Amino acid sequence: MIKLSAISKNYQTDKVQTRALDNINLQVQAGEFVSIMGPSGCGKSTLLNIIGLLDRPASGQIEINGQLLGKYSDSQVAKLRNQTFGFIFQSFHLINELRVIDNVELPLLYRKMPAAERRAKAKAALEKVGLTARMEHFPNQLSGGQQQRVAIARAMVGEPQILLADEPTGNLDSQMGAEVMSQLLALNQAGTTIVMVTHNEQEAKHSNRIVRVFDGQLVQ
Amino acid sequence: MLKNYLLIAWRIALQRKLFTVINLLCISLTLLVLLVLTALLENTFAPTGVEGKSPRMLQIVTMVSLNEEKGNFRHGPLGYKVITDYIKPLPSAELVAAVSMPESTAVYQQGRITDLLLRRADAAYWQILDFEVLAGRVPNAEDVAAGRFVLVLNQSTATQLFGEQSAVGQQLNVGGQQFTVIGVVADVLQLNSFADMWAPISTYPSSDYQHQLWGNFSALILTRSAADFPALRQELATAIEGFQFDDPVMWQEVKIWADSKLEFFARMLLQNQTEPESGAASLLLLISLLMLLFMLLPALNLVNLNTGRMLERSTEIGVRKAFGASRQQLIGQFLVENLLLCSVGGLLGLAMAAATLELIEQSGVIPYLQVEINLTVFALGMLISMVFGLLSGIIPAWRIAKLDPVHALKGARR
Repeated sequence: MIKLSAISKNYQTDKVQTRALDNINLQVQAGEFVSIMGPSGCGKSTLLNIIGLLDRPASGQIEINGQLLGKYSDSQVAKLRNQTFGFIFQSFHLINELRVIDNVELPLLYRKMPAAERRAKAKAALEKVGLTARMEHFPNQLSGGQQQRVAIARAMVGEPQILLADEPTGNLDSQMGAEVMSQLLALNQAGTTIVMVTHNEQEAKHSNRIVRVFDGQLVQ
Repeated sequence: MLKNYLLIAWRIALQRKLFTVINLLCISLTLLVLLVLTALLENTFAPTGVEGKSPRMLQIVTMVSLNEEKGNFRHGPLGYKVITDYIKPLPSAELVAAVSMPESTAVYQQGRITDLLLRRADAAYWQILDFEVLAGRVPNAEDVAAGRFVLVLNQSTATQLFGEQSAVGQQLNVGGQQFTVIGVVADVLQLNSFADMWAPISTYPSSDYQHQLWGNFSALILTRSAADFPALRQELATAIEGFQFDDPVMWQEVKIWADSKLEFFARMLLQNQTEPESGAASLLLLISLLMLLFMLLPALNLVNLNTGRMLERSTEIGVRKAFGASRQQLIGQFLVENLLLCSVGGLLGLAMAAATLELIEQSGVIPYLQVEINLTVFALGMLISMVFGLLSGIIPAWRIAKLDPVHALKGARR
């Protein structure tokens, strides 16, 4: 499903070049739950961003569903992100000016879909995370755990094949973190491929496989 | 999607009140100036009211005499003889009117002297122009032929001279001549109809004017349709080839141009007195460029404001990109937001322009001015708002849309 071959990524800060990823080779199969672990600044999030096509590697190849991504245009990459990936971020990144239901509906705005269908799908996604009652609220009226559940609903509303979660419980207390993890596990059991960056060994144990990154390289 | 864009635009406008107020003020004040100008131009050139036949009407206000060998040049209003000998006989003209320029004339009434603007016109003048007659009647061919001392006043003058009393039937001493008021017409401020009072052309104290090539007259030419203009101009050019000068030694050539209202103003402003081309297209282009330039300065200011405001939303941009928004879609979103704001600013500007025009009318700074924000001005106002919205929105939207999603999600502004 996902195949990264010899991926490298450099960051240029002032006159110093930092190698964030160095010759990464990684495959993720459909239906897998993979956790990426490693110390802060080792390149975990960069790797996740490259998988999710939010960032471009300096060298190497990315294959998604057997399709080699070469010189894709901005609109092609946008379409691929929309139809293949769902994202969950550590700090939720909900749009505070939009109601919960509008936030969840957001990925569907970029598809040719009637408004009524969008609304129905967004409601169904919110129902799955148990937040139907909160759909008219604004994000800042919700607790952190509820906000992350809204973010999960937003990530899942378009039924993406791959869910990318960057420390999804990082900003939550243990009880709320456990709730979010159970939601992710339920999604994985329903067939969604999940790649999650985490610092939490206990959470990582729920995944099928743990990939460890150190100084931009994969370590076994 | 549009609903979502409008919703977020509305909420952001409410949340960032100071920015919204500055933005709206910037837009509406710019629009105010442009709309007042547009309304005045529309009032001047649009074929409505008294000069409603102007789409098939040409006017000759001045002529030029030349002697290039001697370097002689004279430019001024027409004499009556030019109108009768060279313009009235033109076959493509349905009607030709001769009317004097408004002349300041002393009116004596009950020991009071008032200076008012008087025009003297022939009967065709009243047929070509559609004055709104409020009381009595306007002069006819018989009045003109018989040289009757009859007078038409406009409403303001009638009220000024006779108050609540009916002006019709009243006697009035105008420039030493005794006239009877036969009608009252509505106040107008148009090129060919502006005056305080009108008398038949035949009431001049002397008939000398009939034999003069230079004078104080202009000619209004009504054709059957605008399609007759080229033929009429050709006929005029042919007619003046045999122009008989009073002093053929002094003068060799005469140039007379039959112009539409716009062409007349363009010729006057651009000083194209000796060329057939009036420069109307150049004048329109110049006005459009000046309006664009006037919009450009506040638009540049708004570009900076908008860029700052949009960059504050970099996380939202990152989220939208992550969930599949393309660059074009983001540009579209921010343009819609800006256009919405500019539309509101446009409506405010329209309201302010209407109030300003009302103030100008009430103040009497421009006599007889009656300008209103009609559908054309409204449509132009909204069009200008949209152009303003595009000008001030496209650069910030483009900058925002090309933000790298990873940096945008971190709230970075580059």
